Amino acid sequence: MPPLTILLLVLCAGMGLSVEAGLLGPLGEQVGHLSATLSIFLVGGLLLSLAMVFSRGVSLGTLFRQPRWQLIGGLLGPIYVVVLTVTTPLVGVGITMVGILFGQVGASLVIDHFGWLGSERRAIDGYRVGALVLILAALWLIH
Amino acid sequence: MLLTLIFPLLLAGGAVLAAQSSVNGRLGATVGVLPSAWLTFIMGAVVTFLLMFFFEPPHEATLFSVPKWQLTGALFGVVYMLAIVFAVPRVGTAAATVAVISGQLLMSLLIDHFGWLHNDRLPFDASRLAAVALLAGALWLIYMSNARRERRQALEAEAASG
Repeated sequence: MPPLTILLLVLCAGMGLSVEAGLLGPLGEQVGHLSATLSIFLVGGLLLSLAMVFSRGVSLGTLFRQPRWQLIGGLLGPIYVVVLTVTTPLVGVGITMVGILFGQVGASLVIDHFGWLGSERRAIDGYRVGALVLILAALWLIH
Repeated sequence: MLLTLIFPLLLAGGAVLAAQSSVNGRLGATVGVLPSAWLTFIMGAVVTFLLMFFFEPPHEATLFSVPKWQLTGALFGVVYMLAIVFAVPRVGTAAATVAVISGQLLMSLLIDHFGWLHNDRLPFDASRLAAVALLAGALWLIYMSNARRERRQALEAEAASG
């Protein structure tokens, strides 16, 4: 597959993430933020369970032999989804996505700088600081 | 005003996402992408179920009574994950990251502008256009940063094997 096709595919997948946020906001208003969040993880978890059953070479043993702290990813995901359902109806999908992006780039700088969560330590990267400043300016413009 | 209250929330949401991808990237490399994604979703479902069961105030509508199309959000998350797993080894993290964020921003502006999916209408205007220009600059910087990191890793891998 040519790289441009792959990138277009990824672009569409990224659009899907905003559709997810756009669906979650109104859903959370109707049935509650936690229920809306549950719908995401329940449906996703069940689909992936099916995929696990029908995939070859999947070993649950290896998964549970990892250090316990490496298994906490699932505790963090719900925080993100609850934030989406709470903020989208208040400020719209655009500000929500730009704000999330700011938090993501900022946190990845800090995580890399201190080498947290088992990541390799890297010096603060000028490009990323520049990106952070631009994202903040964009956020200020559209609020 | 509203943003000063919302901003810390968004910051936290983005920060946990970065932490999660850091933890899961490592886990995925040792146990495989599918088991690590599976665990993430199952743990998420367990935690949210417990929270919902005990803390959600009652609402008139339930997950079982709303129109089914409103429940399809999870599919987009799963498709995204598959697309990333497929794309990163082929086009690299730098390009894939920029493509994802561009798609996210593009679609969020469209949803806001047209008020799709029962969201409030927030029309595209001059300040949003200026914001898009700033974000394009941010994306270029993120691309440069990731590309430099990938080059360095490739060099290190070469040095280690040679």
